[in-house]
Amino acid sequence: MAQRDLEQVIIGCKRGDEACFSQLVEIYGKRCFGYFFRLTGSRTTSEDLLSELFVKLVEKIGTYRGGSFDGWLFATASNIFHDHLRFKQRQTRLLDEHSQRIRSQPASTEKQDDGDADRLQDALKQLDSDVRELIMMRYYSQLSFKEISQLRREPIGTTLSKVHRGLKRLRELMR
Amino acid sequence: MNDSAKENLRELLAGFMDAGSARQAAEDIERGNTLLRQWPAPQPGDAVLAEVKKKVTATVRRRHKIALQRRIWAVAGVAAAIVIVSALALTLSERQPVEKTTIKYAAAIPERVWEGSDITKDDADIVVLVAEVETIENELSAVRLDDTGGNGSTAVGDLETELIEIGGDFWKG
Repeated sequence: MAQRDLEQVIIGCKRGDEACFSQLVEIYGKRCFGYFFRLTGSRTTSEDLLSELFVKLVEKIGTYRGGSFDGWLFATASNIFHDHLRFKQRQTRLLDEHSQRIRSQPASTEKQDDGDADRLQDALKQLDSDVRELIMMRYYSQLSFKEISQLRREPIGTTLSKVHRGLKRLRELMR
Repeated sequence: MNDSAKENLRELLAGFMDAGSARQAAEDIERGNTLLRQWPAPQPGDAVLAEVKKKVTATVRRRHKIALQRRIWAVAGVAAAIVIVSALALTLSERQPVEKTTIKYAAAIPERVWEGSDITKDDADIVVLVAEVETIENELSAVRLDDTGGNGSTAVGDLETELIEIGGDFWKG
């Protein structure tokens, strides 16, 4: 989609046009779903997060003040993912305190749907969570290193180094 | 997924390492991206996207409704304020300043007689008025002289006598 067309869709969204929001779901739905899936490893969770992202988009679209829309959208997606992680950790901790049975389950891993896991997913799980998120952010958002480093408020050298080492390690794990 | 980050990766990396290492790092990153492309994430089904759109539409409508309600409340608030201010203004404007009590004098002779230009008619009116005044005077004199009793004593005289007696009894104790 041309940048100009996307701008028109965003303007429509800011006006509260339902059709424009549907268009945004069409444009970004699959990419965002992929991003969530590679981070959570769960199709169901990814669907929930995808819904949450676009509902949040309706509420927050007024705060978008130009610049890279993809960057803004994936920053929101990243926040939603982190909220989800925090919720999961809190939930697990609470359950851990009250149930011996639940305690036996690993606290930090997401339960995966049967058949959803692939080799890449298994390899990704072995990466550091921050590096994993960074690699997925870059791949699905298609933002430049410069934009990602600004988004993450870290030096571009750090971002480059993390992505380089992460992807190299991923290739090794996939061999 | 395309690597659409439009930047010269090798040039970017060269800012942090020597040319050889930068070339190697750029190749590593490109191979990593190729690997990610070879293992695409599952796609959401049409039903999932339709469900997301449904939720988004519901949220948009709910926000419209809330915005409309807020607008109605704002208009209602302004209207109420206008009514209250109008009522107060009306109440204040209706409150008249206290009028001073003034003695009004009336002419004994009716104004129409005094101001009238028909002398004949006015004379006739004056004659009637004078006759009425004389009648009243006579009646007053008769009352004063107790002209109705016929026993020679006057009511006023009796009253004065009584007052003198009362006064005397008071001083006697």
